[in-house]
Amino acid sequence: MADRLVKAVGPAVLAFITYIIFSGSVTPYDLVTATVVAVIVGLLVANLMIHNPRKLLQVQRLGWLIVYAIRYFFIDEVKAHLDVMSRIVRPSMPINPGIVRVPYYVESDYAMTTIANSITNTPGTVVVDLDTERKIFYVHWIDVKALEAERTRKEISEVFERFAKRIFD
Amino acid sequence: MRRAYKYAVLVAMIVSTLALALAVSAGGLGYALPFPAVRNLAYWYLRTTYNPFMPKFTASAPEAVTAIVWDYRGLDTLFETSVFFLAIIASMALMRGIEVKAPKSINLSKYGMSAIVKTVTKITVAIILAASASIALHGQLTPGGGFQGGATAAVAPLVIIVIFSLYFAVSSGIKKKSMLTLRTLGLLGIGVTSFAVIVAGLILGKAAYVFQNQPKEAAPIGFPSHILGVPMGGTLLFFNIFEFLAVAAGFTIVFLLLSVPEESVRKVLEGGEGHD
Repeated sequence: MADRLVKAVGPAVLAFITYIIFSGSVTPYDLVTATVVAVIVGLLVANLMIHNPRKLLQVQRLGWLIVYAIRYFFIDEVKAHLDVMSRIVRPSMPINPGIVRVPYYVESDYAMTTIANSITNTPGTVVVDLDTERKIFYVHWIDVKALEAERTRKEISEVFERFAKRIFD
Repeated sequence: MRRAYKYAVLVAMIVSTLALALAVSAGGLGYALPFPAVRNLAYWYLRTTYNPFMPKFTASAPEAVTAIVWDYRGLDTLFETSVFFLAIIASMALMRGIEVKAPKSINLSKYGMSAIVKTVTKITVAIILAASASIALHGQLTPGGGFQGGATAAVAPLVIIVIFSLYFAVSSGIKKKSMLTLRTLGLLGIGVTSFAVIVAGLILGKAAYVFQNQPKEAAPIGFPSHILGVPMGGTLLFFNIFEFLAVAAGFTIVFLLLSVPEESVRKVLEGGEGHD
């Protein structure tokens, strides 16, 4: 039970923030009900969501998350969008599509999912399948530049993986 | 031939839509507005639902729909909830003998969708539950309420069943029995809330009604009208909380029963009571 209480802290914060944003007001009524709801929801989903609650205390992870969010949305996303846009508008439509193997070397599910969703969310690359035992993503790539596992990783997911490791692993 | 048939259907749909629109706008299907006598009723509801200057008539909730559902016609809603409860009981009776449980010694991580979907779902389950609680707890203030919140909350066990598998859901505590307990608790709470004022009246020696919310002219006791600085609609907040529990648990029971694989339950269903 004590273990569950500690694990519930993170999910409770998430539930509290969701509740307040969804309600759209911060009267004392909202704050009190949000706290009650956050504690209940946190306890309910604690074991589902959290394996190692101590990571929450390492504040540098949150810092890396913010840095990554800014970098991802304002640099990586923009670059990928411009690349795909230029392919679309050029009359010759220079695409070379294919599915390649991209390995990953992170341990936690959250880090793995961060990489997978970062790949999928940028235009031009989509994770179509995954092999958790061999630690490989199968990625559909609009312009296959390489086939070897390490080179595809360098082209597609190296940056994502570096941040995902710092945030979640 | 097929093509001609398709076009005929298309033309018929367009013509009937236009005909209906014409009929409605010309008043052919009755009055565009209700009778004046009925309009006064709506006006009365809107004027009294939140009106601190008429404390003997108000339901003390700015959300008129919730006030009508749980106060003005509260008894009706109580029976609706009972019908839904009985429907769940009936479906459980129909599928009696079926145990929703995971087989012993199985590797749960082999079941369900990919690890990516599972990880995202872990986060969304918490978000769904928090949002659904907000819908229920703000039912007396904004559109929403116990039923809507409960139906939203039931999405959380549903996605767990679909994405993590039924076996995972059952082994992590989403069970028929615990959900039935929660559902009964919800209905019990609704019953207690509707009798609370009359019981208090009996104890205090004052007149009161079943399903009373705010104090009335001849029945001077009632639920408080505000909580922590917002209108709580007296009984409405409690009705919404208990209805939330009842509906969320009720839907979850049905989801559990419907996701049991057929081949594993056919024998139980066909065999009836007498197992040989």
